[in-house]
Amino acid sequence: MFPADEDLVIQYVEKGDEKAFRILIDRHQERVFGYLLGMVRDRETANDLFQETFLKVISALSNERGSYTVQGKFLGWVLRIARNAALDYLRSRKKWTDVSSSYAEDDVDYWDRLPDESPSADLLVHRSEQADVLKMCIDALPAEQREVLLLRHEADMTFKEIADLTGCSINTALGRMRYALINLRRQLTAQSKMDLTEVAQS
Amino acid sequence: MKHTKRDILLHLYGESESESDLRSLLRDKDLKAEYTAMSETKFKLDLKKSDRPDRQVIDAIMEAARAPHGGASALGGKRRDRGPVSRTSRLKRVMLPALGIAAALVFAIGVYWNSSSLTSPSASVASSAFEDTVVPPESLYRFVPSRQGGLTTVQDSKSALSWDDGNTLPNLRDRINTLKPADRLDWGEAAMPLEMLSGTNRPGFQTAGSNR
Repeated sequence: MFPADEDLVIQYVEKGDEKAFRILIDRHQERVFGYLLGMVRDRETANDLFQETFLKVISALSNERGSYTVQGKFLGWVLRIARNAALDYLRSRKKWTDVSSSYAEDDVDYWDRLPDESPSADLLVHRSEQADVLKMCIDALPAEQREVLLLRHEADMTFKEIADLTGCSINTALGRMRYALINLRRQLTAQSKMDLTEVAQS
Repeated sequence: MKHTKRDILLHLYGESESESDLRSLLRDKDLKAEYTAMSETKFKLDLKKSDRPDRQVIDAIMEAARAPHGGASALGGKRRDRGPVSRTSRLKRVMLPALGIAAALVFAIGVYWNSSSLTSPSASVASSAFEDTVVPPESLYRFVPSRQGGLTTVQDSKSALSWDDGNTLPNLRDRINTLKPADRLDWGEAAMPLEMLSGTNRPGFQTAGSNR
């Protein structure tokens, strides 16, 4: 028994089955929260945005489903609400700038135009645990690259879905992902070199 | 070239349909190196532990979900609890100590004023007189069983008020009259015997042995 998202939504909306809604939350909480946490880089804020997202989901479903239509894309719909909440927050904190439309055009050689914005490894704080280092390196990625990486790895969306959600072409999404991986690898390598140097000196 | 690089990611994340493209892609050394490097990074990302929201966040959402007709009403007041930033703490931190100090000052001033008034001469005289004259009310009223019952006023020699002596005032007046000086007496005159004064029949003065 593994009911689809849409069946659970119908159970909740039409029969008021709160258990069905709970299953939906349990099923998708890590994807939505992981994306939000990676975007805002603050757990408390991510908690607030997560709550705000699902309260909007409840409100929309209660108002004759609001903007949601049964299309087999419940998670995509929830992530769209979550993304809007995150971008509103980041814009209010002036930590997000929209990419100019010229970068989203398919006829442009996007691969060569993406700037290498990776911060220097010197800025990264030394951490012993690998997970912390990885998280730190992800946080240091440029916003657009970080978002695509989070949507792919945390929310488990396909590049096509990412392109639809973020309003860019699939080439743009793939380009951001490629540079995200390249920068991440560069940072991790630099970090491991610094760790080795520390060990050698000690 | 760019399509090939794009294909690396599609293959890496399992979103490319054709398997044969990957084989041809890996024949190129540079592309193979990039594919390998990205695979390693992806592997590290796949191992990354997922985060979950706090339990109280889920509880708040479920509470809103239970509300009739959903979150519209819940959106208003179902935010996760946070520590209120109120003035209570400021009141506790600043006002209460200040009030305590003020109360201590008032108490100290009251104690000082009370002790100084008790130790002043007039107060001591007054208090001693008070002790002399005031009789405890219990001594004035004593329960005497009688045929009528109830309280009966009893006055005896011990319980009589000391200032209620009828002879004191006349005696004092007589002493004043006795000491009253003559009209012509002056404080500056030299002392002389009474017999030498002219007019021995001055009121209030008698020659010694006249009564004998």
